[in-house]
Amino acid sequence: MYEQLKEMIERKFQVPLADIEPTATLEDLGLDSLDVVELALIIEKETGVRVTDDELVEAADLGSLANLVMSRIAPV
Amino acid sequence: MTDVIPGSAGPAAGRHAVICGAGAWLPPRVVTNDDLARYLDTSDEWITSMTGIRSRHVVNPGMATGDLAAEAGALALKSAGLTEVDAVVLATTTPDHLCPATAPDVAARLGLAGVAAWDVSAVCSGFVYGLASGAGLIASGNADRVLLIGAEAFSTIINPDDRSTAVIFADGAGAVVLRAGSAQEPGAIGPCVLGSDGTHRDLICIPAGGARHRSAGTAMGEADHYFQMRGGEVYRHAVEQITACSRRALERAGLTVADVDRFVPHQANIRIAASVTERLEIPKDRQLSNIDTVGNTAAASIPLLLAQAAAAGELRAGHRVLIAAFGGGLTWGAATFTWPQITALTAHPAAGLSGASR
Repeated sequence: MYEQLKEMIERKFQVPLADIEPTATLEDLGLDSLDVVELALIIEKETGVRVTDDELVEAADLGSLANLVMSRIAPV
Repeated sequence: MTDVIPGSAGPAAGRHAVICGAGAWLPPRVVTNDDLARYLDTSDEWITSMTGIRSRHVVNPGMATGDLAAEAGALALKSAGLTEVDAVVLATTTPDHLCPATAPDVAARLGLAGVAAWDVSAVCSGFVYGLASGAGLIASGNADRVLLIGAEAFSTIINPDDRSTAVIFADGAGAVVLRAGSAQEPGAIGPCVLGSDGTHRDLICIPAGGARHRSAGTAMGEADHYFQMRGGEVYRHAVEQITACSRRALERAGLTVADVDRFVPHQANIRIAASVTERLEIPKDRQLSNIDTVGNTAAASIPLLLAQAAAAGELRAGHRVLIAAFGGGLTWGAATFTWPQITALTAHPAAGLSGASR
């Protein structure tokens, strides 16, 4: 899921892959509050998992966010 | 074009609503981002990057929605070459009074006392809702010509201390005239897709002043008398719903995204428009925009943009247009039409009257 998130961020916000690390926050990556909402929409569309903008903002870093999304993926 | 006697069009003329005139009016006072930054904790850079807005028009004290509506309505009638219509429909979030509706007064001021007149209340979706309403009136044979106006004095309901809304919403008015015609004519209104979700009614609201609060006798704070919006959540719903209803409107009209020459989204925020344009895969250069100089004018947004773009030659006869909006309620709507050969009239007192279409 971390790799998936990394790819989403690189694709949508043109953040260089080299700059994206598990310990980076969304703010570190240059995402503003509307970008965060966009990311939530992309996550929902591509993983089926719904996260609120508050949850995205409150996630400590990208690694934690990946864990949050993973934990919500419905078992198949 | 000579005046037509009301009701004389008859079944032979066709009962489809066709756009035959367009007008827009902005109050003369301009407020820039720097003006706002003088008293709000914000900056030109922040406002521009978050919303795309650089300046907006605001009414002077004493001017209200009915005034803007009458100006835009008069220009639209002139554009259509008409002095009479059978109905005046006014889409607004900021009526002159909670009661009565503002449309009858606007009709009277346009020399149209006696015609059907009502307000449409769907916040930023108001113009699309009003279009469905006016088109329906014509289709049912209850009117041959409708003046449809979107007008707002939004600055009058904004909390001046709330930087999240004070920098966004602004004043203005746009109008179109609809006449009965055939579905194949340029200007014929395609299927209107409308929707709502009242479970999210508190995302965009003015809490105080209506029957709910009065009946409950709840104490209301000063802020409750102002417009409030939960921006992040609204952004999310807006992107999803505008995308979805745009697709449905195209489908119902038998069109594909490739058929869209001009995408005219409600000018809420440049980021929402860009997000939707990208999701729909409409080429960016086909999306019209004027939010940088007029801000978010709610129900006036779409007709204002249509008239300005037509007057500037960016919207031309034959262009297939997709309009789409999302607003409080929640509400949303989309529709398609081909722009007709008309001269749209816009007036900005500083720049003077301009009209062009080719």
